[in-house]
Parts: sequence; C-alpha cells; structure tokens
Amino acid sequence: MEDQIQLINDVINKTKENLKESSFSFIFWGSLIAILSFFHYTYPEVVQQTHYSLLLYWILIPIIGMVITLVYNIKKRVKVGYETHVGRSLKIIWGVFNISWILLIFISIEKKINPTESILFLLGVMILITGLLIRFKPFSFGGISVIICSILCVYTPNNSWLLLNGIAAVFGLLIPGITLYYRKPNV
Amino acid sequence: MFKPLNKILVNPIRLMIVSVLMKAENCDFNFLKQLTKTTQGNLSIQLKKLKECGYISIDKSFEKNYPKTNCKITKAGVKSFKEHFENLKEYQNLNLKHKS
Repeated sequence: MEDQIQLINDVINKTKENLKESSFSFIFWGSLIAILSFFHYTYPEVVQQTHYSLLLYWILIPIIGMVITLVYNIKKRVKVGYETHVGRSLKIIWGVFNISWILLIFISIEKKINPTESILFLLGVMILITGLLIRFKPFSFGGISVIICSILCVYTPNNSWLLLNGIAAVFGLLIPGITLYYRKPNV
Repeated sequence: MFKPLNKILVNPIRLMIVSVLMKAENCDFNFLKQLTKTTQGNLSIQLKKLKECGYISIDKSFEKNYPKTNCKITKAGVKSFKEHFENLKEYQNLNLKHKS
C-alpha cells in the first residue's frame, strides 16, 4: 500500500508546472513595451510622423511580438508533452488579454481617446491574477504596480504617459519575468 | 470495514497514468511512455483498459504526418482515483497500527 502511495507522489512530482520556461513571454513583452515606450517618448517626431505611423508602431510591432510568443509557446507545449490545469488557466487568461487590448485600441480610435490607461489597467489585473494563480509574489506586486501606473496616467500630462507605460512594463513584466527565470524550482 | 481497492487502479502503470492526469489537464502518449518506463504496446493496452472503464478519454490526431495521442481524465476517473487514494490511506493506517 505504501508503494502505491509513493508511486502516486513520485508521478505527481514529475509532472511539475515548468514556470521557468513561461518567464520568456514576460521578459520578452516587458522588454518590448519598455523599449517602444521609451523610444516613443525620446523621439516622438519619428513615431508620430503621421497618424498611420503611430498606429503601425503601436499595433503592428506588438502583433509581430504576439506571433513570436505564440510560436514559442506552441513549440514549448509540444516539447513538454503535457499541460497542467494552471498552465491552461494562464493560457486562457493571456489569450483573452491578447484579443482585448486590440479591441480597446479600436474603441479608443473611434472615441478619439488615449487607450493607455485602459490597457495598462487590464494588463495590471491580468498580471495580478497570474501572480495569485502561480503563487509568486513578484507577479502580484508587479500587477499592483501596473494598476497604479494606469491610475497615474489619468493625471499625467502630454507624452509623459509613455514614461509611465515603460515603467509599468519594467516593474510589471520584465522584473517579475527575470525573477521567475532565476527562481529555484519547487522540490 | 475497509473497502476493497479498485482493481483497475491497483495496476502500477494504470495508477501512474491516472495520477499524472489528475495533475495535468492533458498529456501525450510520449510523455506517458517516458514517465511509466514501459513499452509502447503495454502502454497502449493500459490506456485502452482505462478508456473502456470510462476513466480517461483519448484524442487521436496527426502532427506533421505523425500520429499524436492525447489523454485526459474523466469525471469518473477523478472520482475513482480519489476513492482509491482514500482507501489506500486507510490500509496504510492499518499497517501503522499493527507496528505500534
């Protein structure tokens, strides 16, 4: 009987959630959004040459990023051979986010408003949920800091929202992603 | 009174398969073969047995012209595993009482 219980424990321990590989997406997006934001803030005349160049910058480049992370995640899933319940939940959460931010941009274009606060708020909520699901505090704190940045955007003049966007990406995605990468695996 | 153990899950290979599917949303044939360290033929037989009992569902597809088999546990499988695990713990407690 003890052998059977030990067998169950051994097998379940071998089927661990490999969060280290998930850190790639957070590090990638944290870096990309931070670079896009700080570059736009530093060289607005380059990004805002025309209305379309602004849209291309903030829609096309992230969509290319989405394709890169999608291909990476599919290849990772095939290599691992299984998907845990937490992994599936995270996949759904971020899949919904990927559709939502694009819809928010189209709504903002129609209403002629800046979508940054809404997208940042949504991003912060998603990061917070991720942190709570995987029980990793840097993500929970990262999510809260992104939500704070989204609220601060409302009171920030001119292009300074770009600085907040970059800071949110660093504290909400990049730093937690790096921390997750170097986290020791659970025994 | 102690309940009899589930005859299907007493087999170590089948127990390993159901245990991993309790944790994983789904997993493929190759991962199960690697985990259980059994032959392809034996694993196929055990999976078929579990499917016949309604403990797992099997989804077969093709990926790059190679067959791909994915397994998921069913509600009946979850219930049976939980009952089996509880019964195992009762038997284990019985052994401990004898030792003392």
